[in-house]
Amino acid sequence: MRRGFRRAAVCVLLLVGLSALFAPSIAPYDYSRQFREAPNAPASRRFPMGTDDLGRDRFSRLLYATRVSVMLAPAAALVSILLALLISAIAGTRKQWVDRVLSGFTTLCLSLPWIFLFIILRAVLPLNTRPLASVLITFGLMGIAGWAWPARIFTASIRQMTQSGWLVQARASGIRPWRIALVHGWPHLRAVATAQFLVLVPAYILSEASLGLLGLGVAEPLPSWGNLLAELQHPSRVHDNPWILAPLALLMLVMISLESLHPAREVIA
Amino acid sequence: MPFLNRLASNLITLALVVLAGGFFAAALVRYSPGFDSIPEDLNPGISSATLRVLHARHGRENSLPVFYARYLAGAIQGDFGISQNLKQPVTDLLRQRAPVTARLILWGTAGGWLLAGLLAWTAAWTRRVARGDALEAAALSISGLLLAIPPVVLALAFFFYRAPLGLALSLALLPRLFGTMRALLDDCWSSPALLAARSRGVGPVVIAARYVLWATAPQLIALFGVALVLAFGLAIPIEALCDVPGLGALALQAATSRDMPLLCGMALIIAFFVAFVHAAGDLAGGLTGERA
Repeated sequence: MRRGFRRAAVCVLLLVGLSALFAPSIAPYDYSRQFREAPNAPASRRFPMGTDDLGRDRFSRLLYATRVSVMLAPAAALVSILLALLISAIAGTRKQWVDRVLSGFTTLCLSLPWIFLFIILRAVLPLNTRPLASVLITFGLMGIAGWAWPARIFTASIRQMTQSGWLVQARASGIRPWRIALVHGWPHLRAVATAQFLVLVPAYILSEASLGLLGLGVAEPLPSWGNLLAELQHPSRVHDNPWILAPLALLMLVMISLESLHPAREVIA
Repeated sequence: MPFLNRLASNLITLALVVLAGGFFAAALVRYSPGFDSIPEDLNPGISSATLRVLHARHGRENSLPVFYARYLAGAIQGDFGISQNLKQPVTDLLRQRAPVTARLILWGTAGGWLLAGLLAWTAAWTRRVARGDALEAAALSISGLLLAIPPVVLALAFFFYRAPLGLALSLALLPRLFGTMRALLDDCWSSPALLAARSRGVGPVVIAARYVLWATAPQLIALFGVALVLAFGLAIPIEALCDVPGLGALALQAATSRDMPLLCGMALIIAFFVAFVHAAGDLAGGLTGERA
């Protein structure tokens, strides 16, 4: 039963990933193309999910939004993991005072709720940016601001590793530090890093959705799941066109699929 | 003695968070756009040479170390400056908004913690004692489904149907606590001590109260502290979107108007609150653990 569920989840993620990758070929229109004669049009053969209040095809926008949200959340998670690994490696292998300073810095970063930290950083940067820049800022800041959670776990693992006999033997044998790290250390950390990656990806997808709803995420006209969900702030429109709920349904489907790949959940903002 | 060591360690962490948080806040305010401009910039009667001298003096008087010392001294006395956008003291704004957020967070956390505990208890008990799959699967499905819904969307639905937002916050917190609580209770139910108690015929109520709840109390209390912090993070977008006049709405307003003094005052207060909650949870957990 569980294996079947996992297979179904992988199929869903593959399907979503492929449709995101080939969005320009699948989407009938460009995401920003306006049909001014048909604003808020209901679902039809011409517009499978209807149009928004600016006359843009919802289906095309959903495909492009999936591209932005599904492709960039893993990229941001990868940035966080790499940063966390780098900082943890420094903290776990250098002198004790370096470890203490970095541990204090990690505690400080964890002392601010993630979204508040993001709001501060976002406020320092220009608010009126071009869509592409807004995508890079949103996911880049997520990647940079989200390193502290995995770093704490990596530091503990690295510290444990540095006290192990095989590492002492490897160092005594004259093996170079980078070789120890890559050839001998990484296989020990890989499982933890993968688990953290799988925890961060859904967290970033949800964060992007929250930021998009707040108007601090990806800038229009570029669609993302977050700014498509902003339409939910007008419930009367949902009654008129239930397809407005399509981004939410897709987001939930992807989240459930990701969860079933990694059922062990941790407390993460 | 371990308690005193723990207390000292937590106090040092708290002091460091305030010092480092203050520095971060001061640096952001100091280097925020427009900080280096002076009123004389708008006076066409002042020569460029005089302006240069005035700017140099402004820069000296507001160099980061000097500014940090002044900012921190003010912050310790409760003076976080004046909001650029709202033209009111930041302290007054925080005092007006904090009770609203505190109420939402407390209700949300208490509800989320209790609901997650109940669900985790059901899942762990059915797995280890009742040996049934249906209830555990139901608990996992509820948690998984709630985790898949963005908290802000959940809150918006509650807002439009005029349901209490505290409950929305509880439901958003539930899946974030459920995993840890379930693992904790699961470990406890499967411990050899508990198996021995059950084999000796100790009643289920006694086992639950005496062995499970008492043994997991330190971690559960510490988790309540973590839940408070999580609830605060979740409350920010919920307040901003659902027109709740709390700190979340204020934070968003400050961010969109680039009101750095307000944003930094809030950052310092929030960092202090989070560090304080973690320290209190750690100490309370330590105390209960020692007694257990």
